Amino acid sequence: MNPLALSLILTTLLAGTLITMMSSHWLTAWMGLEMNMLTMIPILMKTTNPRSTEAATKYFMTQAMASMMLMMALTINLMYSGQWSITKMTNPVASNMALMALMTKLGSAPFHFWVPEVTQGVELTPGMILLTWQKLAPLSLLYQMATYTNTNLIYLSGLLSILIGGWGGLNQTQLRKILAYSSISHMGWMLIILPFNPTLTLLNLTIYIMLTLSIFMILTNTFTTSMSSLTLMWNKTPAMTIMLMTTLLSLGGLPPLSGFMPKWLMIHELTKNNSIIMPLTMAIMALLNMYFYMRLIYYSSLTILPSTNNMKMTWRFTNTKHTMTLPTLITLSNMLLPLTPMISMLE
Amino acid sequence: MMYVVFIMSVLYVVGFIGFSSKPSPVYGGMSLVVSGGLGCGIVMSSGGSFLGLVVFLVYLGGMMVVFGYTIAMATEEYPETWGSNVVVLSAFLVGLLMEVFMVMWLFSGEHELVGFYFSGLEGLMVLGEGGFEYVREDYSGGASLYSYGFWFLAMAGWMLFVSIFIAIEVTRKRY
Repeated sequence: MNPLALSLILTTLLAGTLITMMSSHWLTAWMGLEMNMLTMIPILMKTTNPRSTEAATKYFMTQAMASMMLMMALTINLMYSGQWSITKMTNPVASNMALMALMTKLGSAPFHFWVPEVTQGVELTPGMILLTWQKLAPLSLLYQMATYTNTNLIYLSGLLSILIGGWGGLNQTQLRKILAYSSISHMGWMLIILPFNPTLTLLNLTIYIMLTLSIFMILTNTFTTSMSSLTLMWNKTPAMTIMLMTTLLSLGGLPPLSGFMPKWLMIHELTKNNSIIMPLTMAIMALLNMYFYMRLIYYSSLTILPSTNNMKMTWRFTNTKHTMTLPTLITLSNMLLPLTPMISMLE
Repeated sequence: MMYVVFIMSVLYVVGFIGFSSKPSPVYGGMSLVVSGGLGCGIVMSSGGSFLGLVVFLVYLGGMMVVFGYTIAMATEEYPETWGSNVVVLSAFLVGLLMEVFMVMWLFSGEHELVGFYFSGLEGLMVLGEGGFEYVREDYSGGASLYSYGFWFLAMAGWMLFVSIFIAIEVTRKRY
């Protein structure tokens, strides 16, 4: 893309999310979400094949429908309460409809169908923006309005997201789809803790974004998009293969890595509120996620598939991709667990 | 008075059904014009005379005209109309049937639906006949977009500017 157009579009993408996160009036929040959606489309269509055009069209269709539902929820709220504040959406029709619209924007079940298809149809970098940056704006709105929504709907959607994120990712060999189902599952965890302790939602979001950014950057640096090219990664950069292993274990929520921190604190919070079956189900279903991450680790780091002898010694070319923030992100995504008492700064 | 608004809104939905059953854009554009005109009528009967005329000017007179010219450039020899294809016709009839069911449901029960007893407009639109104001709300709303709501205007203008870039990027040749 023309650098001027790209910088304009990225600036507006940034501005859209920031406008939504900084607003207290529903109309400006909706405006920021629309800005996000519109400027995401050329980013998704950066490559020139019909697959990415199809992915951008699917993204636009689902997000436009969600924005329409959100606008209807806003006007119903305006009709019954006469005010536009995000935190006081007292009419149940309005708040539940806005909840469903925001869940569609986040890609949590039962509105998750667009996430694997859109993530698979685009390159790794737009997929990375889709799964990390685009979660910020809807979650900031959910954080503010969740007190008046029907919590049964939140629990249902969260549990369903964890189930679908776990079971849906089992049969995948394409890495972008695996990361999409991982995103669905993490959204489920974030939604369930929202009525109990919204700070943990933000903590989970932060750690999830760090982990997903690390994994996407590792994959971008080694040009791997499917499990078959993952098996050849040990040849190119053995260090990054090991880092992928630890980051994937962290994404699955294994102690002593930092991905364990949000899961541990969430289960703690849920059991403090006398809810036993739900965190049990959530923890067991997170094992499904862990299974396909383990499969990726097995094929990338723990085994070397049979190959000819000249494949074991590749010529090392200089790496032309930027790895600027990658060491910091990998360190953060693996070693943050001892800093758990610092979550009080998120309050 | 409420009866007129009700009929206009039913026909508005029928117009939407007309183009969502996906005939050729030539006929869809016509249906959109009908819906736009009826929407303007709904807005005007709630007291927003300025905003209704803005709908006619900008929406129908600006965007629909451009849309009409572009589909005239991209038209085909036998455009699909509501009667030419059984799929389009049945989609239209299913939508129409749903609308009829909804109207029947509205008139059947004892629900607390505001305004559907044709008594008055209270509560249906915030911008209604609120007594004797010194400034009419739709004019003052349009003016406040340029004074208090300056940043709304700035963002709206910015997004129109960026959407040109987006449209050009999306319609660039893909090879």
